[in-house]
Amino acid sequence: MSTQERHDELRAIVEERFASSIDVPADFFPREAERIAAACWAMARRFHRGGRLLAFGNGAAASDAQHVSVEFVHPVIVGKRALPALALTNDSAALSVQRAASDPAGPLFARQLRVLARPEDIALGLSPDGNCQNVLQALAQARAMGLLTLGLAGGSGGAFAAAQLDFCFVVPSADPLVVQETHETLYHILWELVHVFFEHEGLL
Amino acid sequence: MSDQPYDPAADSASDYDRLFYPFLFAGQSSADEVLAQVRHSTIEKCREVIALRRATLARQCDRIVEAGVAMAHAFAASATLFAFGNGGSTTDAQDLVADLLDPLLPGARPLPAVALTNDIAVVTAVGNDVGFDNVFARQVIALARSGDIAFGISTSGESSNVLAGLEQAKKQGLLTIGLAGYDGGAMVRSAAVDFTLITASDYVPRIQEAQATVYHALIAVVYAVLADADVPGRRSTS
Repeated sequence: MSTQERHDELRAIVEERFASSIDVPADFFPREAERIAAACWAMARRFHRGGRLLAFGNGAAASDAQHVSVEFVHPVIVGKRALPALALTNDSAALSVQRAASDPAGPLFARQLRVLARPEDIALGLSPDGNCQNVLQALAQARAMGLLTLGLAGGSGGAFAAAQLDFCFVVPSADPLVVQETHETLYHILWELVHVFFEHEGLL
Repeated sequence: MSDQPYDPAADSASDYDRLFYPFLFAGQSSADEVLAQVRHSTIEKCREVIALRRATLARQCDRIVEAGVAMAHAFAASATLFAFGNGGSTTDAQDLVADLLDPLLPGARPLPAVALTNDIAVVTAVGNDVGFDNVFARQVIALARSGDIAFGISTSGESSNVLAGLEQAKKQGLLTIGLAGYDGGAMVRSAAVDFTLITASDYVPRIQEAQATVYHALIAVVYAVLADADVPGRRSTS
């Protein structure tokens, strides 16, 4: 095969990836816009009551938990107020202790929530397939403590779909990378549009 | 609240607010209007990221292939990738590293990658003692070898610590890859950066979302090239 032919093959791989990253959000956001708006409103009311966002996920989704957290704490857009948010994935000492526990899937994030969370807070759990047990357990813990619960999942939604969350967003793609990119746009939008409700104090 | 002492000043302030700022106290119809506005914005933002991904593909597809091939050749010759950025770009750097260490593509082998923001002791030590501009360059000096890959992410293309990390990496003979938004900023003008891949937007959230697609596409190219039998530098597996 010539170099040019191989280059064209690799171009096709790139084009295929971009096509998924275009088609999936194009379907997802118009369909979910109403629930996204409702979630922004619910989050804004929690922040207005002094609540904080507590975000968590495993592996690549841990980086998303940290990403959504930094958006709220240090807004990149001039004039937006700083809002309290913590990622439960930042403390390597705490995480390694919990991973060494006898049931590593069990206590990871739920244990942190039991200690850190307040009833007015917001719990946001991410799982590309909706089946991360430690994320589900933490969301159940959050629900029992009275937190607003948001789950960001993908594929068929897995166990998230049946988890009685206040808001469960399922990106219907089997490709975890596309699910993650769509989650990134989703939590950016949640962050951007929560602020709209602060301009309407009567709604908080 | 009933347990607060009555404050006539606060009460009259409230009446004043109600008179002159009625929108602050609007009822359900206003809620419907705001929710409609937020729904509309959601769909607009989705359109923006889709348009940015289309534009990035149109302008950068060849460069993404070339950068991915160069990265694959470096990995085939035992390179380690060092990824770095600030804020949300830090988490994207960590995401790239996670995708390489624990690849999701079927049959893909884990590749050596380190995020230079993981060690908060090092980041704060260098930041406090020398300055924040040096937090990545210092680690490149300590950790990187010739032939490794430096991967810097900056939405503006202007982050001085990211540029310093890439410049130090080039001095040490690394392959240097940068992701930048806007017009590529100082990164695209730097001779130290072998490949600057630009997602041309002036809005940071959309830049980051399109950059995620760029590095996910790079990973796909890397693994496709590594699967070729004739990758230069590929070591015998026997």
